[in-house]
Amino acid sequence: MTARTLAWTGFIAIAAFVLMGAGRLTLLDPVENVTLGVTAPLQEGLSTATRPVADWVNNLTDAGELSRDNQRLREENERLINDLARAREETAQVQSIEDLEAVRRQFPEDSFLDAGVIARDSSNLRSVVAIDRGRSDGLREGMIVVTEGRSLVGTISKTFDDYAWVTLITDPKSAVSAMVQESRAEGVVAGNYGGSLIMEFVGQGAAVKEGDFVVTSGVGGGYPAGVVIGRVAKVEKAEQDLFQEVSVDHLASLAKLEHVLVITSFEPQRIEEP
Amino acid sequence: MRYMIGGGIAFLLALVQASSVEQFKVLGVTPNLLLVLLVSWLVVRGLEDVLPILAVAGVTLGLVGLQAPGVVLLALLPIAGLGIVRELGVIHSELVLVLLLVAGASLAYETVVLMSLMVTGGGYDVLRAANEVVLPAAIVNLAIVPPVYLFMRLARPAAPRRGFAS
Repeated sequence: MTARTLAWTGFIAIAAFVLMGAGRLTLLDPVENVTLGVTAPLQEGLSTATRPVADWVNNLTDAGELSRDNQRLREENERLINDLARAREETAQVQSIEDLEAVRRQFPEDSFLDAGVIARDSSNLRSVVAIDRGRSDGLREGMIVVTEGRSLVGTISKTFDDYAWVTLITDPKSAVSAMVQESRAEGVVAGNYGGSLIMEFVGQGAAVKEGDFVVTSGVGGGYPAGVVIGRVAKVEKAEQDLFQEVSVDHLASLAKLEHVLVITSFEPQRIEEP
Repeated sequence: MRYMIGGGIAFLLALVQASSVEQFKVLGVTPNLLLVLLVSWLVVRGLEDVLPILAVAGVTLGLVGLQAPGVVLLALLPIAGLGIVRELGVIHSELVLVLLLVAGASLAYETVVLMSLMVTGGGYDVLRAANEVVLPAAIVNLAIVPPVYLFMRLARPAAPRRGFAS
């Protein structure tokens, strides 16, 4: 190593730690806000230009047309499934508490703010996207984000003036209180590496089968109750285990999100420890 | 001028990595084209050429790739250490050297990102992350080495010809 390369290496190491410190102190938020604003159109252009190739490679077929059709059908299917699931949920709620007003309290006159996805996390270890709405639009950390078909996407984890980061429910650190709609079995839907969803802490005695709907339970106050998360894809039961492991398929393709809705009418509750 | 061009290329590379390459998923992970290009550049052109580009690319990818500032830069830094292997001249085949360095740099990159996430937020299953992210990422990056390395070889300026008089 020459003195020059040593100097560069030292400079990069110091710069990395300085940037990390500044980032923790949110000193770089204005820079990130401006950078996202400047590069968003470039990123969108590059992303759009590459998408057909990515589709082809990812599907290993002539996926352009098929992928678009598939996407359209999935969205249509998602809307229909959500309508059905919501109807079932309301019916179940009404039957169990015999009070439609209670349901209405859980589903107030929801107001949404639409947003476009402008960037995605580039690491393999997190599932985060950036949207083109921020503090100036009234967004706050903790707000809930859903797809246009109203299934759960994630929560706002960081806000800038004009942009915000959304941590998807597929992020390994994400955990959502959920229940299987048909059997009312409760558990926690957690994200996983590679973008899959696992429902944990479902008791061995709970009747869960493939195709059942999984919705938010509202326990903990972080999410409104009854928002559709997905459908049960696989159930694994082992006699020696306390819990079943339930794989959940999200209704929408979170890897291809382009537009989302932020629920601005729901205030996440912070429950203090006793 | 050389650094200006290099900086511009690095900025573009980071943008491509954040917006285009991230759409490709193989074995559940995204290939790190930027890292493979930097390592190939290191082997073909030398450490002195690659470090300024690494700095610009690292900062840019951190900003546009929604990473905590500085983490990408830190994760790319082991490339500088691996550059010593090239300087030693123990491995004579450039392609083999690129493959070895990409494997090492990929493992180091994902490990540094994982460690930084654990330090700042916790809650990560290290063994699972190693199985499902760190190792697959190294394998996928190795798979894209041959075309990237070939491109870098072709882009290398030819050595000046020497006449009999010189």
